[in-house]
Amino acid sequence: MFFHIVLERNMQLHPRFFGRNLRENLVSKLMKDVEGTCSGRHGFVVAITGIESIGKGLIRDGTGFVTFPVKYQCVVFRPFKGEILEAVVTLVNKMGFFAEAGPVQIFVSKHLIPDDMEFQAGDMPNYTTSDGSVKIQKECEVRLKIIGTRVDATEIFCVGTIKDDFLGVINDPAAG
Amino acid sequence: MLAEASSSKGECEHPGSFGNMCFVCGQKLEETGVSFRYIHKEMRLNQDEISRLRDSDMGFLQRQRKLYLVLDLDHTLLNSTILRDLKPEEEYLNSHTHSLQDVSGGSLFKMEFMHMMTKLRPFVHSFLKEASEMFVMYIYTMGDRPYARQMAKLLDPKGEYFGDRIISRDDGTVRHQKSLDVVLGQESAVLILDDTENAWPNHKDNLIVIERYHFFASSCRQFDHKYKSLSELKSDESEPDGALATVLKVLKQAHALFFENVDEDISNKDVRLMLKQVRKEILKGFKVVFSRVFPTKAKPEDHPLWKMAEDLGATCATEVDASVTHVVAMEMGTEKARWAVREKKFVVHRGWIDAANYLWKKQPEENFSLEQLKKQQGTEEE
Repeated sequence: MFFHIVLERNMQLHPRFFGRNLRENLVSKLMKDVEGTCSGRHGFVVAITGIESIGKGLIRDGTGFVTFPVKYQCVVFRPFKGEILEAVVTLVNKMGFFAEAGPVQIFVSKHLIPDDMEFQAGDMPNYTTSDGSVKIQKECEVRLKIIGTRVDATEIFCVGTIKDDFLGVINDPAAG
Repeated sequence: MLAEASSSKGECEHPGSFGNMCFVCGQKLEETGVSFRYIHKEMRLNQDEISRLRDSDMGFLQRQRKLYLVLDLDHTLLNSTILRDLKPEEEYLNSHTHSLQDVSGGSLFKMEFMHMMTKLRPFVHSFLKEASEMFVMYIYTMGDRPYARQMAKLLDPKGEYFGDRIISRDDGTVRHQKSLDVVLGQESAVLILDDTENAWPNHKDNLIVIERYHFFASSCRQFDHKYKSLSELKSDESEPDGALATVLKVLKQAHALFFENVDEDISNKDVRLMLKQVRKEILKGFKVVFSRVFPTKAKPEDHPLWKMAEDLGATCATEVDASVTHVVAMEMGTEKARWAVREKKFVVHRGWIDAANYLWKKQPEENFSLEQLKKQQGTEEE
């Protein structure tokens, strides 16, 4: 799920960046430091959308660096257990399939794929129903349910299922 | 349903984990089971699940009439060298490298970004094409993961032979050792092709040892050979008669024996036994006596050379008699050697047995006479 939230961070800036462009330098350093990172609490920071406030700078003893408390708005992405997501399949093998929803890597085990879908090996490994009407292969879009999440410093891993109603393939690239 | 297992966590068997979460119920798990990094760095499977996957696979193998083949890279399918190690006599190679944009048809590649040059072994493309019709293939190398992936791109640009089945030293479970523990196939259905026997301490019966491919001078140096490398001699292994062509024949034989009876349930068959059978045909019918080849204190039957001869189908004995066909000696003056000459039996040095083992075919005895050995030793001393 996406959230639009306000976060705060203490940014350290070297005096060489002071002057007319101080604010710009501060903001671009913030973006470089924060966009694309993860935290357990907020998830993946997708993009900074605005700066709410920049507090007074404090010179640090002994170094000359200045610390600015910055409040900024950003869009974060955090999957939750129980959430329904759409993801793109990246790899299919006999253990199940891997899919990606943006920065989130999801694994759906064979145990959580409907029993009537069989693994077909070959050039383009896939899971297919016995009548061939539904096929899960690389580049497919699937709707899945998250049953567990884990957040790292830079990555988010999820375990998912498609065994419930209304889950599974939503767009077959092979179809016309 | 398993998806609702959060309320019945006690019943979930936790067959494996992704990111330290059980991939059936989502519960957080300590690191258990075997790491399958080559599939995904966060993937782990417990032993029961590995067995289940291997068992469920048998039906697929039966229908496809396929077995598993695990292939080593260095000195088996190719030879690589660091650019810095190229000798002046090898500099000419720099102008013969093939494009990396479209690798089909090429066999010599330069990868500046890895500071490396790689030469594919002759016949490797035909080998992979034909083997892929009989085997699901894995790469298993002691190189690191980026090296393994790059070599796979050279050998298999379409990803049709190996898929995601590329195991590097970063994916193995025990350092400096290769094992079938991360291969998702029954051990009774796996053959291995590697130039280094000791890399596979637990799977010697699955292993076909292939002659090392030394193209670059650095490779010869590494193994302490005094001879010039193929690149320095501006030569190469023969395509139709080379090691890969020979091994392909052996693979075809073992595969044919395994799937001999079309409808037979293969879960009772063992490809290791098929391999033994193929090997036992090589020196079948010959009786060998060894003369001053083994240290006197040891039991001859325990010596690796004795066992090798028996594995090749020969009968071994300690005393001569009329049924003996070959005497293996390292010098002409021994009693048994003189007996052999009198009785018009073959006298060969141990290379005759080693060659049969490596080349999967009985070799002409004339090429392994003791005069040959003396000549060879003479040139080595010079």
